[in-house]
Amino acid sequence: MIELSEVVKRFGGFTAVDHVTLSVAPGEIHGFLGPNGAGKTTTIRMIAGLLKPNAGRILINSHDLMLDPTAAKRSLGFIPDRPFLYEKLTAEEFLRFHGGLYGLENRDGLSDRISELLELFDIASWRSELIESFSHGMQQRLVMCAAFLHRPAAVVVDEPMVGLDPRGARLVKDFFRRMSRKGMGILMSTHTLEVAQEVCDRISIIHRGRILASGTVADLRALAQSEDHALTPIFLKLTGGEGLQEIHETL
Amino acid sequence: MEINAPFPYLLLPIAYALRNRIKRRERGDLLRLLIFGGIGLFVSAALFAVAFWVTWQALDYEELGEYLVRLSLSWLFLVFLSFLAFSGLVVSLSTFFLSDDLWLLMAAPTTGRRLFYSRFLRTCGQASWMVIAFLLPALLAIGMASCASPLYYVMASVALPSFVVIPVALGCAATLLLVNVFPARRTRDILLLAGLAFTVSLILLVRFLRPEQLFNVRSLPDVTAFFTALESRWTPFLPSFWVGETLFTALHGQVDWLHLGCLTTTAMAFTLLLRIAFDRRYFSGWSKAQEARKARFTRLRWIEQFVRRLPFEPAKRSLLLKDVKVFLRDTTQWSQLLLLLALAFVYLYNFHVLDLSQIPYISGLVKSAYAFLNLTTAAFILAALAVRLVFPAVSIEGAAFWIVRSAPVDMRSFLWIKFWTGLIPTLILAETLTILSNEFMGADPFLKAVSAAAIFFMSFSLVGLAAGMGASYPRYRADNPTQVASSFGGVAYMVLAVLFILTEIVLLAWPTSIYLWHFHRDLSLSPNNLARMITAFSLATIVAVLVFWIPMRRGIRALERSEE
Ligand SMILES: Nc1ncnc2c1ncn2[C@@H]1O[C@H](COP(=O)(O)OP(=O)(O)OP(=O)(O)O)[C@@H](O)[C@H]1O
Ligand SMILES: [Mg+2]
Repeated sequence: MIELSEVVKRFGGFTAVDHVTLSVAPGEIHGFLGPNGAGKTTTIRMIAGLLKPNAGRILINSHDLMLDPTAAKRSLGFIPDRPFLYEKLTAEEFLRFHGGLYGLENRDGLSDRISELLELFDIASWRSELIESFSHGMQQRLVMCAAFLHRPAAVVVDEPMVGLDPRGARLVKDFFRRMSRKGMGILMSTHTLEVAQEVCDRISIIHRGRILASGTVADLRALAQSEDHALTPIFLKLTGGEGLQEIHETL
Repeated sequence: MEINAPFPYLLLPIAYALRNRIKRRERGDLLRLLIFGGIGLFVSAALFAVAFWVTWQALDYEELGEYLVRLSLSWLFLVFLSFLAFSGLVVSLSTFFLSDDLWLLMAAPTTGRRLFYSRFLRTCGQASWMVIAFLLPALLAIGMASCASPLYYVMASVALPSFVVIPVALGCAATLLLVNVFPARRTRDILLLAGLAFTVSLILLVRFLRPEQLFNVRSLPDVTAFFTALESRWTPFLPSFWVGETLFTALHGQVDWLHLGCLTTTAMAFTLLLRIAFDRRYFSGWSKAQEARKARFTRLRWIEQFVRRLPFEPAKRSLLLKDVKVFLRDTTQWSQLLLLLALAFVYLYNFHVLDLSQIPYISGLVKSAYAFLNLTTAAFILAALAVRLVFPAVSIEGAAFWIVRSAPVDMRSFLWIKFWTGLIPTLILAETLTILSNEFMGADPFLKAVSAAAIFFMSFSLVGLAAGMGASYPRYRADNPTQVASSFGGVAYMVLAVLFILTEIVLLAWPTSIYLWHFHRDLSLSPNNLARMITAFSLATIVAVLVFWIPMRRGIRALERSEE
């Protein structure tokens, strides 16, 4: 569904993403982990077509993002880390607008689809309120509605759990699992390792722009030569836990 | 723990931001500096010259002249007094209640007083810089024309700050009251409308007073009557009167202790009272300002119905609908249109009262020249409108642009929609202005046709240039469209637009004058002249099409290449 090969992104002289190769199969939820500033958001933005890679190739649903951006984007749903929306539109108007951008119209059952998703994400009672009066979590839910509105083949999500209440987080996890069972490929960056461990089929760890490791939790455990069951020690070991020692000393 | 630094410490972020901005130069900084600096210098010099000349002339009339200087000072300050109070109201709303960094400052252990003084200083500065920039050259000119002693300049530098503080403090007090009663987000809308009404009424007042009559030497007694009318028995209680008197007395090398005392003590008293009021009510007002009550807004169903019927692809239709709705729901946006309509009204009214037919000796030539002047004005209004409405169209997508950019929409459709939404209203306005004013003036039918056709083409070019350049030089991080319009790209747009308009006017005026010359003498056009006319008109058309086409293409390409 999503395939990156040797993707490079430089900001000036600084290489934020360094030859990243990654693939998400249909029906797979792929966790994308890494410390702050590792290059997760940058990679995801390149997949969404917001940043142009300096080198490498990105395929979405076997459409090359460079050669045929329209087809590639049509197969993709994108949920950014900080959802900025049009504050002067209502939730329903925004979803209609979003559907329109992806070529959906009323006769394609857009209205029903919108109602269905608003119901599902529990914001149906806010459908005719201006987005400016939404809380962060409500905006996040609205963005998810938008991302799934056009039934994309693949979805990229940047930190989906930030701002969601426990119920919302549960809902999103279940929803992702259900969608993946229907064959959707999902790439999800997150800092919540429990979530990654719980829902992800495979995990890639990125550090300073390079993929350090990729595989199932068991693979990673073997790689880190760790006996631990939890993902956190593995993650710390792989990304170098140097900082922690210093924290203990400073405190 | 509390910080102990005095209140200017809280102004440091502004200083740092400015320093970093100067250190880290951006493309076009120099050009912008040259253009804005040049305009600023020119305006100051013009103000200085006018003030100098008027004072010089007035002083020739001895007694009457002195009286006039004194009255004009008081009148000038009266106008500024109301302006300052109003801008104090508007500025304090954002500095004290809506500005984002307040979240940080309110959470920090700063004392209310320190916050108050730093914000009040900032409010005074932001509210008064235009007035000060206007007053400095004018007062300097008055002083130099009357050969004033240094005392005058000392007095001016003491009296002016006090004069600024008083109305701004009143404005802040009014804001404090308003915010404690209404939630701030609504207040801003109300204020905007109030400001608009204020500006429009000022324009209309000036228009109906017909100040051009003041230039008429015969009506000099009327001038004094005009000023006396402004002097009521309330005047001696106004700070504008005090500052006027202080300066006037200082012109004679004396100190008017009474009025100077009134001015400074009132300024201090107002600051103190305002501080006490803020001590009591600021926090409750601030907290209330954060409650965006469920705003009322128009649903605009009919627009939706209308746009649905348009023969566009769904993506384009969605974009169009979104733009129209966002525009209409944003008071700051359309309220400026109202202002423009008022200006247009004044413009047409001018032609209405001008009534050229009453002047018997006016020649056809003057009339034609007037028609071209008219066309130029309409084009300039068009350019001003485009730089404010169309140029920022791409930039105001701002932080929400990811929605469109990650959607399967090509940038071509996106920019074209921006173009059409900008073109339709501006085209209607420009055509109305041109046709009506030519009608009022009774211009030649050929001229009418040329003007109407020219403004049609120029609308396409100016809007296309604005949309294209706006896409090539976007400013996604700007807070408001005005900021976008005054960025490097906006200034460059204005420069190009002016060049374009002048080129077009020359290319049109030349063949038109050939035609009219022959027509009024009942001569037929020689083939040579006909060829010249056709060449000039075709050139004008080609230039117009190129100015429309090239920027649009460049804009689309820039959008396709851009990353945020
Ligand atoms: N627009 C930009 N210009 C310059 N550098 C950037 C830009 N965006 C990101 N970077 C740099 O690229 C690196 C990767 O940033 P990125 O946002 O991808 O990190 P991340 O993995 O998403 O981190 P986090 O977990 O904090 O969200 C960082 O070092 C950052 O400083
Ligand atoms: Mg990130």
